[in-house]
Amino acid sequence: MKSIVSYIRREEWSPYVAGILLGLVGITAVWASNSLLGASGAFENVVGMIGKAVAPAAFDNLYFNFIMPPGITYSVILLVGVFFGGMVGAATSGTLWWGKKGAANPDTQWKRVFGPQVWKRWVIAFFGAILLEFAAGIAGGCTSGLAISGGMLLAPAAFLFIAGMFASGILTALIIYRRSY
Amino acid sequence: MTTYVIALFLGVFFGFSLNKAGLTKYHKIVNVFRFTDMAVLKFMMTALVVSMSGLFILRGLGVITFPNIPATYIAGNLIGGLIFGVGMALTGY
Repeated sequence: MKSIVSYIRREEWSPYVAGILLGLVGITAVWASNSLLGASGAFENVVGMIGKAVAPAAFDNLYFNFIMPPGITYSVILLVGVFFGGMVGAATSGTLWWGKKGAANPDTQWKRVFGPQVWKRWVIAFFGAILLEFAAGIAGGCTSGLAISGGMLLAPAAFLFIAGMFASGILTALIIYRRSY
Repeated sequence: MTTYVIALFLGVFFGFSLNKAGLTKYHKIVNVFRFTDMAVLKFMMTALVVSMSGLFILRGLGVITFPNIPATYIAGNLIGGLIFGVGMALTGY
């Protein structure tokens, strides 16, 4: 029992153990609510809801009416859970640095590659996130919604997506880490 | 209402496992693309194998039916994946 508690408190689990946990969560999602895990769709649901209220004409299109209907959907609630689950995870391993100095960008590898400035982290994260959400919209899901959830149903779309993701990811990393790749 | 409670509950465990596997860290994500730390792949593939076998066994036993499978349209999935990889390597999402 004590060893279980100390394992939970470890900052980094074996990826196999964490993977088994996620696999069980994926099974439970289908079994208990007949739906799939996902992250990117939730943002589109919320944006659709805001957009319908602010600029109804611009959001009155096929995508926001039928493909990604606006509203507080299942995946929005799931994403709220993910937020708190991540916080619980960080709290149990003692890395929940809420408002502490250096907490905005604690990643040493990032600082070595891009520099220590926090604003750079935010700018790159902002524009990278636009790419991510746009791409997830085209492909029909993100890493969790398409690659993992689709993959566990053996959907061909998931494996096409994973192939594309790794091809361009490796290329981008190659460009960023030119000398030290 | 029950579905929302289930969603919140599942989300907590989803986020927890992502955090413990280290997928909330930039260097974990980008090092997969540099082939120096394969934790993300190990995590993803373990999750896939566990849920895949579990789901297909449960469907075989008639306990569950599958939800809508993500649509296949080759150009969309591939191009989406290609753009997604760029964002992933930049942000460490």
